[in-house]
Amino acid sequence: MTKAIPAVSTSGLSKSYGDAVVLHPLSLDVPKGEVFGFLGHNGAGKTTTIRLLTTLLAPTSGTARVAGHDVASDPIKVRASIGYLPENVRLYDRFTTRENLTFFARLSGVAGPVEAVRETLDFLDIAPLADRRVGTFSKGMRQRVGLAQAILHQPEVLFLDEPTSGLDPMGVRQLREIIEKLHARGMTIFMNTHLLSEVARSCTSIGVLAHGKLVFHDSMQAVADKYDERSLEDLYVGVAERGPEVAA
Amino acid sequence: MTPARLIARQSLSGLTRDRSVLILIAFFAAMVLVTAWLGWSATNTVDAIYVDAATYLAASGQPVPPNPVSQSAPLAVLRNLGVYISLIGAFGSIVIGQLLIETDRRAGTLPLIGARPFERSDLALGKMRAMVTATGAMMAVAAVISVAMLFTIPSLVVRPGDLLRLALFLVAGWAYITIFGFVALGAAARMPATASGLIAATVVWLVVTFVLPELTANVHPTAAINPVSTLATTPDSVFFHLMSRVLGPLSLAEGFAWASGDLLSFLPDGLAPRGPVPPAVALPVALILAGLFAAHSSAKLDLNAGGPDA
Repeated sequence: MTKAIPAVSTSGLSKSYGDAVVLHPLSLDVPKGEVFGFLGHNGAGKTTTIRLLTTLLAPTSGTARVAGHDVASDPIKVRASIGYLPENVRLYDRFTTRENLTFFARLSGVAGPVEAVRETLDFLDIAPLADRRVGTFSKGMRQRVGLAQAILHQPEVLFLDEPTSGLDPMGVRQLREIIEKLHARGMTIFMNTHLLSEVARSCTSIGVLAHGKLVFHDSMQAVADKYDERSLEDLYVGVAERGPEVAA
Repeated sequence: MTPARLIARQSLSGLTRDRSVLILIAFFAAMVLVTAWLGWSATNTVDAIYVDAATYLAASGQPVPPNPVSQSAPLAVLRNLGVYISLIGAFGSIVIGQLLIETDRRAGTLPLIGARPFERSDLALGKMRAMVTATGAMMAVAAVISVAMLFTIPSLVVRPGDLLRLALFLVAGWAYITIFGFVALGAAARMPATASGLIAATVVWLVVTFVLPELTANVHPTAAINPVSTLATTPDSVFFHLMSRVLGPLSLAEGFAWASGDLLSFLPDGLAPRGPVPPAVALPVALILAGLFAAHSSAKLDLNAGGPDA
């Protein structure tokens, strides 16, 4: 029996700027179909990791494969397999939702961009926003359109960088429901977040990054089984501040 | 549709919705119209005076000389067009080049574009394609207005050769303003703060337009953009001989002014361009070099940068 290829796999992946090490060698496997919550303090290296995995940054050392493709040697195949929602996405203010999404659908090589946009708008329940200019939108509406551009080509792996940042409780709930629907479709989701309550509700596995080092990685089920008497917050604060031995 | 074409189309569509671009293009079109009106008005005045004089001379039995309007080259009525291309056209091109990067940077769409399955070079090609199309559109506006004026003045006899020279002048104008657009595009892509790119490209334009002609040919800065200044003689000194040799190929404004005078047929016969490299060589070479700079810088553009605070 062959082992399934992980959706995301890194081996000794690191990033430095001169003497400053932003990401220490990271070895991590995220199986297909997981909702992986990547936790860490500000500046821990989470966004850098996503940028490395989405081919937006070149690693200093190590390798990474996304959907089975190497980010360094096969970046175009990686990009064809992923969707990406960065933090603070704005999109083209002077264009409507439909115009923005059609552009990104075409750029992703979607065969029927108009149909794909319509289906995505329906899926995210934002069809009424289709012909409104994005510049008039609230943060939450903009975030949903941003999410639409990330999924309209039905990627295998979806990268979300702080997707709940700046959202009100209703927006957070709506986003959680969307993530659940995408998970049900079999999409692998790699999500950077600070919101532990969302991790507890949405994620199937978590990793904790502290000062550029992966200090914890396990399934949510294992977390629940091993540390049931401790909250996720206690666990996170412990490993982030004092290292992986705290979790043991 | 190729990624480069998609990016070009999206970028151009964005430019058409940008008020500052529309204002600049409208201003450029207005100044071309002013040029046309000045040319039309001056020519009509001379023509009207000639008709009166010819009538008087004929009535008094004296010989009637030929109409000076029909004696001069018809394209000479467009001589001011070169000035507006050098000033407003070039500056508009710089603004467009900067906006082609700024718009995506401010919208935070660079990472979204960068995470799409195509080569980085397609992004550069798309932006450059948008640049040459936008400057081409500006020159097309100038072409329509100029041709309309040439056929409006009844005393002008426009031959196919004149239209060919006008087309060559507009191509030279397109090349000239596109050079600065490429410099702005490349500078904006290379510098983390897009405003720095705009400033850098503007400084290049100011140096090329006003400083170099003074160093190479003692042309006063305010006269540097005027095609008529090409008629001025360079002082016969070691300094200007040396500067003309060293900096002459970079003195593009001077080269364009000379090309304008030559193509619009108002230079005296036998007047040769100053400097060791003729404008017919200097302008295309500068366009290619500026294009390479824009291509390299756009292909290396940091796609992580941007967002609302950019």
